[in-house]
Amino acid sequence: MSDTEIVERLKGDLGARALEIANPDRRRIFLKVAPADLVAAVTLLRDRYDCAFLSTISGLDAGEAFEVLYHFASPVTTIHVRTATPRSDPRLPSICAVIPGAVLYEREIQEMFGIVVDGIPDGRRLNLPDDWPDGVFPMRKDWKHVRPEEVIPGGKP
Amino acid sequence: MSFEIPIGPQHPALKEPISLRMTVEGEVITNADIRLGYNHRGIEKVAEEKNWTQNIYLAERICGICSHSHATCYVQGVEKLMELQPPRRGLYIRYLVSELERVHSHLLWLGVAGHEAGFDSFFMYVWRDREIVMDLLEMITGNRVHYAINAIGGVRRDLDAGQKAKVLEGVATLKKRSEYYLNLGGTEPSFVARIAGVGRLSRELAIALCATGPTARASGVARDVRKEDPYAVYDELDFEICTADTCDVLGRVVVRIKELLESYKMIEQMVRNLPAGDIACKAPRKAKPGEVVSRYEAPRGENIHYIRANGTDRPERLKVRAPTLGNYPATVEMLKKGFIADIPLIFAAIDPCICCAERAVALIDARGGETAVVRMSDLRRQAIARHLNAPVKGNAAWPL
Amino acid sequence: MLSKLARWSRIKSPWILHLNSGACNACDIEIVAALTPRFDVERFGILLKATPRHADVIVASGPVTRQMRDRLIRIYEQTPDPKFVIAVGACAMSGCVYRGAYNILGGIDQVIPVDMYVPGCPARPDAIVDGVVKLLGKL
Repeated sequence: MSDTEIVERLKGDLGARALEIANPDRRRIFLKVAPADLVAAVTLLRDRYDCAFLSTISGLDAGEAFEVLYHFASPVTTIHVRTATPRSDPRLPSICAVIPGAVLYEREIQEMFGIVVDGIPDGRRLNLPDDWPDGVFPMRKDWKHVRPEEVIPGGKP
Repeated sequence: MSFEIPIGPQHPALKEPISLRMTVEGEVITNADIRLGYNHRGIEKVAEEKNWTQNIYLAERICGICSHSHATCYVQGVEKLMELQPPRRGLYIRYLVSELERVHSHLLWLGVAGHEAGFDSFFMYVWRDREIVMDLLEMITGNRVHYAINAIGGVRRDLDAGQKAKVLEGVATLKKRSEYYLNLGGTEPSFVARIAGVGRLSRELAIALCATGPTARASGVARDVRKEDPYAVYDELDFEICTADTCDVLGRVVVRIKELLESYKMIEQMVRNLPAGDIACKAPRKAKPGEVVSRYEAPRGENIHYIRANGTDRPERLKVRAPTLGNYPATVEMLKKGFIADIPLIFAAIDPCICCAERAVALIDARGGETAVVRMSDLRRQAIARHLNAPVKGNAAWPL
Repeated sequence: MLSKLARWSRIKSPWILHLNSGACNACDIEIVAALTPRFDVERFGILLKATPRHADVIVASGPVTRQMRDRLIRIYEQTPDPKFVIAVGACAMSGCVYRGAYNILGGIDQVIPVDMYVPGCPARPDAIVDGVVKLLGKL
């Protein structure tokens, strides 16, 4: 099935829930949904579009909202599901019931952006060290790392 | 009565420091937990402060063994953002280095798998042959690791006739040696018995847990980014996806050796059909606003980069997902129901960016709280001894 | 007399512990490649050991991540005296490309005292062997 056929089928299946569908390049389909429709869209992709393989989940700090992209790959194309959640109350439903392999990626966006993923089976930190202060989210644009003074052993003071 | 055994992060292994906690009942592992973060360097944040060209060098240093795969994945994406069409010769040279990197990585892994299974001579033989590939790479690019041959718009160095002849010569030698290893590994009953049946990952689990690369292909899942999403030259080359049906470490060894042979085929095709022309085209400083998803088949699996640009000379967001991260949930599944002594082998079988030699394991007695330090080499020796004494499995046939 | 013997054996056959404090693994493969038949570091009596308690020399690579900092100090303290530390690669010297990242301390010498620096990104196996031999020459 070519990309245009898949886009038509998606429009038919999702109807008004698909806020935006774009096909900017060969084998790249970008689909936007609201957070409430996320699990339904992912289930549909897994069952009817052969997208059981989740490549990764990317988070992005877009000022007023956090944009989160779920990258799926099927043997003929790749479909990327985009959703946005407001900065003041970032919450997303977990898709681990549908795609068990998504747990590590959801843990990562939780700790990097502070997005709360509801229903995640294992909400511990993934990458940040044990002594990292709570409530500090490194990938947000308004957080800048301040490098401490460096002491060069044996060097000029 | 279960114990919890922590493994790592320090080990003279070359793998990134990682901490595993295994819950064991006797010798069988019932649960495994992985603590990442020892190797977290905050690269995605640093990438937002460097310009497009500086980020090539940053992307290369995400991993030392598949450095070219990260750099190429990134450069592919940026070229799409800037709407550049690199010249064909540049693309051929870039993917020639990619296939040479795949050869070096699989040979490295084969040696490591041999070492973990107790077959040290195999390890030394394979790494001696790996030096042939390292010499070829040094001749083409100037360095053994971290080639830095990518530039936005093409490559930085050209290939002349003498180098082409050397590459073909090196690949011919390696092909003979790889076929020898195929036979050696296949007919060596103790080696096959050691690795068959270890680290089972069924096909359904491999699909559900989103395993990628040779780990998934050894469970019969025939997905390869070079066939599904062919970028640049791969739709002009003739090669097969290699799979195996045994779903265990033996299958992974078979898949990687077959991939080696396919890579030799591809390298010969690329060198013989190298088109003439420029090696790079000029790239602008700034990229137009937009986003791109770039996928690449690294030696370990699917590498995906998501890049968003906002019209300046720096990326707005660079998101990298290296293939080993995608294989971690599958590793936890594989470790369950395995034996403690098989831990190094199972972990090495997903090719976790490198794995070698010994680790120190601390056994914590859950009741008394005493600790005893056991070396992984002792565990490995115990495992080898146990396998020597066990009857050779009758159905451990080499699925060629 | 015994101390002369001990010193001679330490120079003639140093046992090394390899420690990766968060590197990209390139320097680490080159350290393992030093064991393989082409560069063969075992002919100098150098053995790769598993535990810090048996080691004379710590060969460390990688910019130190915050998580690895305490472990690095612990391992340094577990290694018996006299011990030497070799920092391999540009990351171990100053942090290489990762300087300024939020999770990096920037070089092994920010955490433990270093005796020898081997530059390179990654450092070639011959350079690593050269570094170890030069260090022993100073003893």
